[in-house]
Parts: sequence; C-alpha cells; structure tokens
Amino acid sequence: MFYEDIQEGYEFPILVKDPVTRVQLVRFAGASGDFHPLHLVEEVAEKAGMKIIAHGMLVMGMLTHGVTSWVSRKNINKISVRFSKMTFPGETIHIVGKVLEKKGDNTVLAEVFAKNSEGEVKVAGTFEATIPSKN
Amino acid sequence: MTKSVNSIGMKPSNAVDLIGMEFDPYTLAVEQGKIRELALAIGDDNPIYYSLEEAKKEGYKGIPIPPTFFQVVDLWGGLGTTDKMAKLKLNLLRVLHGQQEYEYLGDIVAGDVLFVTSKVVDVVTKTGGSGVMELVTSENRYRNQHDELVAISRNTIVHRL
Repeated sequence: MFYEDIQEGYEFPILVKDPVTRVQLVRFAGASGDFHPLHLVEEVAEKAGMKIIAHGMLVMGMLTHGVTSWVSRKNINKISVRFSKMTFPGETIHIVGKVLEKKGDNTVLAEVFAKNSEGEVKVAGTFEATIPSKN
Repeated sequence: MTKSVNSIGMKPSNAVDLIGMEFDPYTLAVEQGKIRELALAIGDDNPIYYSLEEAKKEGYKGIPIPPTFFQVVDLWGGLGTTDKMAKLKLNLLRVLHGQQEYEYLGDIVAGDVLFVTSKVVDVVTKTGGSGVMELVTSENRYRNQHDELVAISRNTIVHRL
C-alpha cells in the first residue's frame, strides 16, 4: 500500500480476533506482569460486584495487532487510545479502522476501534503512521 | 490544574498533590522470549516477532517489540500494579486504565536495554454520573543503551472515589 493510493475515508480490512478466553487472561497476566485480581480471581471480582474482565491492555494489544496488519510495524509513529467498555471472556473483538486525514509528509492520521460482535466499542483511538511513497 | 469542588460532601482526595511525583527509575533488557510471550498472549501472529529473518526483511536489526510491549518493561522492570497504586495511595480495586498513548521515536529490538524515567504529569478530578473520579496521568520516557530517547508512554488511570 502506497501513500498515493490512500484516500481520506479509506476503511482498512477488519481484523477479527479469536474469542477472549480465561486461559488467555492468565497467559496475558504472565506476559505483561499485570496480575490484578479482577482479571484472574472470580471471588475478588464478585466481591467488587463485577465479573472477571479482560485486561484493557490485552484489548489494546489486539487493536495494535489490527493496526500493524494494515501498516508496517516500523511505520507506526503514535497510537493513542481510550478504554471505553469492559471486555469479558467469550467476547470476540473486531478491529476496524479508517483514514481520517492525509498529512503532507507521507503520514496519515487514522481512527481505530476494538468492538465486540454487537458493535459495542471497547477501545477507541487514533494512530499516526508514515506510508511509503511510490517514488 | 484545578481540583473541582464536589457538592455531595464527599471527602476530597489529595491526588492533585501527586503531580510531579517521580517514580524510581528502572531498567529492563528486552528479551526475545518476553516478546514472543506477549505476542502469543495477544494472538498476534506477525512473523517479525518470531523470526529474525522476517524482522530483517522489515528493516529491523533484531526482533522488534510489539507496540504495547512497554507494559512488560514497566511491570517487570518497575513497580508492579499493586505497589504503584500503593505509592499513589489509590485503591487497587477502584482503579481502571482510562487512556494510553505511545509515541514511537526509534526502533527497539531484542537485546536492547531500556532505561525508564516515570512521573505523574497530570491529575484531573471529574464528577460524572457514577460519582467523583480522579484521572491520574503518568509519563514514562524510554532511553536505550545508546542514550537515545526511543519511546514515550502516557498512561491515565481512573480512580473512582
């Protein structure tokens, strides 16, 4: 994909992730070092009046997986997100994105969302990336 | 930075005093095994995280870190979540990750060593439908073994009072 080929409003191909599992949360806890009990221990979640929730950073990791499936990892300059809704085991996350603005210096500003199958936005953000030119 | 006065008689917290608080600097060597562990946990099958050859094809000198790897550096190199919340005097069970931003200024690959400085840069108190919340933003700056600033992270946690 070249900078010249991209139009503002261009929609990137949707990346559909495998459903979130409890084992994945354990695995992510070990990988990331985030052992917050709300992600791992049913009793603690219940005591807080909640259910086990996925790590927000796991969903952001899924979101950046989407971004780097569209744009080379090396060309990402900035990613900024807001965590909107909690994600629960069993939910399937879809990563959708759209080019908002072509900037002069071969960079684009795009929006990106992690949504569940019902379209509920879990994580919303933007990224800036440099897109190679044909020349 | 002004602290809003809440009208429901709730005891205001001292979170605003946290602005400028610096955490102890920390360092972590970037290991290929941790990169792979994180990529697998996320379900990110991008071959650049698993194969040096594929990474080189994309112009890297070594296996690069996934975009959110800084969390690994922060939590395995610096304070864990529990200790960090204790230092900030925030209740672990009443905090959520609100916002996260990463600026990528240079390549970071397996074998690099990162040196991190971290401080609280902003505290905002907001009153919403579910009550009073404090938004505490920390900024982390990552330098490599050549003293190059390679990334900046801004992390906002939401503390529900």
